[in-house]
Amino acid sequence: MNSTAILILMFGGLTLFMLTGLPIAFVLGGLSLLITVLFWNPQAVIILVLQIFDTMKSEALLAIPLYILMAALLSRSGVIEKLYRAMELWFGRLRGGLAVGTVVICVIMAAMTGVVGAAVTAMGMLALPEMLRRKYSPELATGTICAAGTLGILIPPSVLTIVYAVTAQVSIGKMLIAGLVPGLILAALYIIYIILVAWLKPGAAPLREDYAPAPLRQRLAALKALVLPGLLILLILGSIFLGIATPTEAAAVGVFGALIATAIERKLNVDALVSAAADTGKATAMILWITIGAKAYVAIFTGLGGADSLLGMIKSLEVGPYVILAVMLLILIFLGTVLDEIGIILLTVPVFIPIVKFLGFDEIWFGVLYAITIQMGYISPPFGYTLFYMKGVLPKALHMGIVYRGIVPFFLLQGAGLLIAMAFPGLMTILPRLMEN
Amino acid sequence: MPPVIAGFVGAVTAVNRAAFYFAILLIYLIVPVMLIDVAMRYAFNAPTVWGMELAVLLFGPYFLLAGPYVLHQKGHVAMDLLRQRLNVQADRLVELVNLPIIVAFCAILLWFSLPAAIDSFNYGETSFSAWNPPIWWTKAAVPLSLVLMLLQALAEFLRVLFRAPGTAGLHHEEAAL
Repeated sequence: MNSTAILILMFGGLTLFMLTGLPIAFVLGGLSLLITVLFWNPQAVIILVLQIFDTMKSEALLAIPLYILMAALLSRSGVIEKLYRAMELWFGRLRGGLAVGTVVICVIMAAMTGVVGAAVTAMGMLALPEMLRRKYSPELATGTICAAGTLGILIPPSVLTIVYAVTAQVSIGKMLIAGLVPGLILAALYIIYIILVAWLKPGAAPLREDYAPAPLRQRLAALKALVLPGLLILLILGSIFLGIATPTEAAAVGVFGALIATAIERKLNVDALVSAAADTGKATAMILWITIGAKAYVAIFTGLGGADSLLGMIKSLEVGPYVILAVMLLILIFLGTVLDEIGIILLTVPVFIPIVKFLGFDEIWFGVLYAITIQMGYISPPFGYTLFYMKGVLPKALHMGIVYRGIVPFFLLQGAGLLIAMAFPGLMTILPRLMEN
Repeated sequence: MPPVIAGFVGAVTAVNRAAFYFAILLIYLIVPVMLIDVAMRYAFNAPTVWGMELAVLLFGPYFLLAGPYVLHQKGHVAMDLLRQRLNVQADRLVELVNLPIIVAFCAILLWFSLPAAIDSFNYGETSFSAWNPPIWWTKAAVPLSLVLMLLQALAEFLRVLFRAPGTAGLHHEEAAL
């Protein structure tokens, strides 16, 4: 069989088995190994074995379970509930305040751990019932939670950014810090949109008529909830930004902080520790087995010259670099709607990064654009993670159609954020450039 | 399901459950080891030679050995939007085609990784770092986890094969990320 036929077989097989619901790790890994052994060079499997040994030694990837464990512990500590109550006291008087407050809390949670599922589930359980009780439109409420929950992908620390940085072989610390500015821009876009909707359509986010603001003393006391998250954020982001600690070391310290927070709240017990470790182990095993499968797939794709011929084809194209960039981003947005995001990063980064380098673009900046398209994938049906989490916490009276309608404006806002990030590359890379000095 | 097969399926699942809990609890070894290293480095300016290296060596067995039981829990992320629309018979057929692919993946990778792990053991391979610990045990986690994954895929296959006709299996939950 010649290489082109094998490549066609690989793409066809990928699509077919993906649709049959075979776990993605084994679609990628199983297909690649079967094709290698049957039609190509069985000895190539040895390269994959060496790559697995390399993956096992990756200090950078070790940060993944640590940040997930931190999120798992914090979500059992009651810290998030306290944050939410504080937010209610402060934002309750503002039109659309509960939705704005939800975005603010998601930013804080994103800066603590960056695990999307934890943020969406927590807000779905805390903020959603309260917003519905106050007669917010269900579309606005669910859309806000889904979109704001994905801020964890951009705002450091972020598991997906670590996977990107490791695959693209760029500085993990710089890539993480680079997400801060675009993440805050997106959060600002969401807040502006919510306030606009609340003013233009008061029915979508009504103020409670009998609302009596809590006394100032009570509101100030509630701010205590910010102390611990604030310290954790300062510690993690500060040490990464100043280059004091690696992102992995910062993550270990973060786990320690989360353990202390859980202990202070008197929620630290064997059950909590074991179930947090089980959630963490499950998610990490899933991510790393996909990594192995994707490495096998990419090894064959590049081994057969697929990546080279693609790069050669693009080099021969007579179009501007921004057209190619736009095409790559459109491909990513499309893939995001149908595929798992970890898989997308592992499959497309090795193919796209040589193109990005050839076009002369900054890889950190491209990483920011990547992260925004991943956020779009996270909220868009049929394969958006936040939708699954939302489904898990949605009250029986609502159906997923409402959620799908709710995310539309936020998807467009993310698109606007993507255009802003494309138009101002200097702004996106300002923090990582400061780190060099 | 014949008792022999039921026994096999139950035993495999029990072994992998034990491997899962062993693996996931390693995180509570990894974290303290790293904290000691960080504390020694930043507070006492005397980094350990073993801290970070030990943590990283444990990382491989940690995620590899947790994997097989996650297959039983349906925790490996999959796209099953189409499959949820299939009727019970078609769904069963799809699973009977899919699970052998996992078996094939494990078998092929096992064929090539086992010699590498055995070589490492025979040569008493060490890491050649300042600490220079033996590392064959972490490489051995690769073929071991593949054997366990293969057996679990086989067990899931038998579960589907002997499932009472007309009953539906569990679907993949969306893994926590």
